[in-house]
Amino acid sequence: MTTLTHLVLAFAALLPTAGGVEAPPPAKLLNVVATTPDLAALARAIGGAAVDVKALAKPTEDPHFVDAKPSLVVTLNRADMLIEGGAELEMGWLPPLLESARNDRIAAGSPGRVSASTGIRMLEVPTSFDRSKGDVHSMGNPHFLLDPVNVRLVVTQIAQHMAQVDPASAALFRDNLKNFLATLEVKAAAWQKELEPFRGAKIVTYHKDFVYLAERYKLEVAETLEPKPGIEPSPIHLAAVIGTMRAQKVRVILVQPFQNRKTAETVARQTDAVVLDMPQQPGVKPNTATYFDLMDSLVHTLATALQEKK
Amino acid sequence: MMHVDFDVAWQVMKWPLAACLVLPPLLVYLGLHVVKREVIFVDLALAQLATLGTCVALILGYSFSDRISFWISLAVTFAGAALFSWSRNSERQHVPQEAIIGITFVVAAAGVILLLSRVAGGKEELEHLLTGDILNVTARDVGQRAAIFVVLAGFFGAFHRHFALISEDAKAAAATGLRVRLWDFLFYAAFAVVVVFFVRVAGVLLTFAYLIVPAVCSVMLARTWKSRLLVGWAIAALSSLVGLYASFAMDFPTGAAIVCACGLALVLVTIGVSFRQGKLV
Repeated sequence: MTTLTHLVLAFAALLPTAGGVEAPPPAKLLNVVATTPDLAALARAIGGAAVDVKALAKPTEDPHFVDAKPSLVVTLNRADMLIEGGAELEMGWLPPLLESARNDRIAAGSPGRVSASTGIRMLEVPTSFDRSKGDVHSMGNPHFLLDPVNVRLVVTQIAQHMAQVDPASAALFRDNLKNFLATLEVKAAAWQKELEPFRGAKIVTYHKDFVYLAERYKLEVAETLEPKPGIEPSPIHLAAVIGTMRAQKVRVILVQPFQNRKTAETVARQTDAVVLDMPQQPGVKPNTATYFDLMDSLVHTLATALQEKK
Repeated sequence: MMHVDFDVAWQVMKWPLAACLVLPPLLVYLGLHVVKREVIFVDLALAQLATLGTCVALILGYSFSDRISFWISLAVTFAGAALFSWSRNSERQHVPQEAIIGITFVVAAAGVILLLSRVAGGKEELEHLLTGDILNVTARDVGQRAAIFVVLAGFFGAFHRHFALISEDAKAAAATGLRVRLWDFLFYAAFAVVVVFFVRVAGVLLTFAYLIVPAVCSVMLARTWKSRLLVGWAIAALSSLVGLYASFAMDFPTGAAIVCACGLALVLVTIGVSFRQGKLV
């Protein structure tokens, strides 16, 4: 038994050296935590040199479901600011983490808490709520960052909150916001131009996560592979999707990294369609670290595929 | 390794630590019975039935945290307990009880998959039920369960002689006039309560690990019920500490880290015992 204890203690003593060493950020930076990498990218653009930004979810992770790990609680415990998507996107995993983190600076309603969905014109707000309709968000579809008009509102709100939490850097936040909005205007016009030829084109998505993009650029989501949001694709539903795609000549299927690409490939084989990797989080594909680069990549991927399959 | 002061680490890990020190002792005791009876997978089967009950509640439109879903889960698990106490005599038909338990497990598991295919986010819910959420356990979770476990420990303590006799030699117990089937049902029913309560915070994997690993280690190291119980508790506590520490230091999912620490404990004990018996030299 004593030998055992020694062995276990020896093993335990080795542990701290096994993890990757992470230098603590300089103390004066504002600790900003975003639930997802896309919000983190926006926070970096506005906060610039005055902030240290961390995202809780990995870019490849489904933002509806994030696994709890001790580091997430620690990160939340140290945060000066928390930016969440809101509209119930993080409903399944954030509340228990916040309870464990016990941090008043990021409590709901405080300047340190930003809910990105505030003020956004939400799509698909249900008129009645019923769990049998699938994972319906009672506040509407929470995947709203692919519409540049919504991003305008989100970054403006982030800049306001940052200035409240860190008044000393308010001028910097204001300048960064101004630059961001100027760039956004130019970029949004370019995206509009690139997708203009495909007005009315039909696409199929895995989940209802491209409705804002479709609405902005007048594309039509003909079908989703999920029969209802969050429900696994069933054979009967996929047969119906294949029928629709053949009848309406839909040739493009959009998937994100955490969705089942095999399902999409099966349908694509039957319908002469192409499966497009369209990660909505920055950093999944190379050179997509910022919101602008990410949207450039998504718009270009989509436009190219729609052109080829016309 | 994150540079965090002890305060933060303590704040994050204190309730998981409390849960992992206070709750497993009863599981270790039950584990000793399970090892004696050679019904190792009874816990997995009951845990899976508890999960099946939760899924029925989800289908009916309740959420995981609603009280009603807990009661449905308990009811389904009780049905399993009744089945296992009734199927004890299945050996007469040349069917080992372990077969009944294994079949219950796979059918319940498949049933869960069927039901969850109709529930939004079902796949994630499934993973969640396997791995649990011991990291986000609250003071209330721990307190509630500790209270229930104390009551159950009292129950098992009061009737330990009966339970021990039946687990060790059911035929001899029946010969002394004990109503084996009734006591069996009581045993499995109390077992079901423990599993249902523990699975909801710890998940199926961690529950199974706490139940079996310390018991198996202690059977190798000690002979009497009392000493096995003490050794088992010590091993459960030590594995929990190592697992929790690794989870924090290396940022692993907490429940899975503890399960792996339990596995490591078993390896070390096996090596230690073999050395003592001179088998490895």
